[in-house]
Amino acid sequence: MTTALRPGFERGVRLRTADDGTAMLLVPEGAIKLNASAAAALALVDGERSIDDIVAHLCARFDVDDARARDDVTALFERLRMRRMLVLA
Amino acid sequence: MTTDVRPLSLLCELTYRCNLQCPYCYNPLDLDGYRDEIDTATWQRVIGEAADMGIVQLGFSGGEPTLRRDLSALVRTAAARGLYTNLITQGTFLDAARLAELVDAGLDHIQISLQAPERELADEIAGTVVHERKLEAIARVQNSPIALTLNCVLHRNNHDSIAAVIDLAASFGVRKLELANVQFYGWAYRNRGGLMPTREQVAHGLEVATAAKRRYAGRMEIVYVLPDYFEDRPKACMHGWGRAFMTVAPNGRAMPCPGAATITSLSFENVRDRGLAAIWNGSAAFTAYRGTAWMPDPCRSCDRREIDWGGCRCQAFALTGNGAAVDPACALSPDHDVIVALRETGSRHPTLVPRRMREATPA
Repeated sequence: MTTALRPGFERGVRLRTADDGTAMLLVPEGAIKLNASAAAALALVDGERSIDDIVAHLCARFDVDDARARDDVTALFERLRMRRMLVLA
Repeated sequence: MTTDVRPLSLLCELTYRCNLQCPYCYNPLDLDGYRDEIDTATWQRVIGEAADMGIVQLGFSGGEPTLRRDLSALVRTAAARGLYTNLITQGTFLDAARLAELVDAGLDHIQISLQAPERELADEIAGTVVHERKLEAIARVQNSPIALTLNCVLHRNNHDSIAAVIDLAASFGVRKLELANVQFYGWAYRNRGGLMPTREQVAHGLEVATAAKRRYAGRMEIVYVLPDYFEDRPKACMHGWGRAFMTVAPNGRAMPCPGAATITSLSFENVRDRGLAAIWNGSAAFTAYRGTAWMPDPCRSCDRREIDWGGCRCQAFALTGNGAAVDPACALSPDHDVIVALRETGSRHPTLVPRRMREATPA
């Protein structure tokens, strides 16, 4: 997967952050609980930012290694793409 | 009494009226007893209470929910509270105007049912001419901003068409296809003798679905739901009784699942009389089989007790007369032979009774 691609949510998929800060991905007839790092990455998904942009944002905000963040984010997005929750354009 | 278990999902069964007569419907047999439907204001209050409870998923179902003219108003109420809204429909009333109304109201997802991939068989199962209108609705939703899932309930009369169902779904480019073997509740339980697939059909279906799952990976998600009459362990019905789901029937009766009214030893409270949270926390019907304390052995000591939560209470009641019995779908149930015997009805061909509000008078 090239990290110049821009991820966006598929139709019927949205991120919901509760008052207590916990996040879940709402999908047709389901909800996927997210850990903090997945939630942080998905909060940056807007169809405009590239994967590179998202990794850069995460590295600037959290104490995380660039290569590690790139691997984690790419793996997460690929999993969601395979389940048709994310489009990469 | 309160509980720290919180529901995630509410199914709003808006009406049991429907223009189709599918013999596999899971709605109750006494449909006529649900004509006194709760009004728009009551549904809106219930939806607000659901949001207050932390529920995130709302389903609008039936019967055929689009027969309620206030559907869009209810979707709008739910969307305003941030709830995710699903419409479970057979699609025959989703014309351009109705769909536009639902898009405008903020509907997130539509699930359309298919009876079969071919017109003749589909219309025969539905008991009326619907197939072409459904195909038009599918195309219309695919061209809208709303996510679409296709669902086909599989039974003996359409099971052999499974490959054609998959091809049809793929030709529309839908994101998800559910191939769900019929579950025996309501009308389907009554018609189980004629609906039961054969062992060969189930094995073939699983093979076709598994191959298609690989072929369409990343394009179309395919879910094949095995019939639990053919498995050795029960399904985790509703993820446990009173643990994640609530259903409100058209007459306002609040239940842990859509089939619960068949357990005649329970009494259910009504949202006309009591708030949703109070019912969830304190109603005897919700606490009856919640958690693991109610379980008999071998469930009580089973290492799967918090995986399948004892299986399905409605099935236990239907087959044993005791809602707290071990689900006979489990091979460890003392009543498992009942299930084994029922599997064999797949080799006979009793007449199917079409789902109707009122029984037709015999000729």
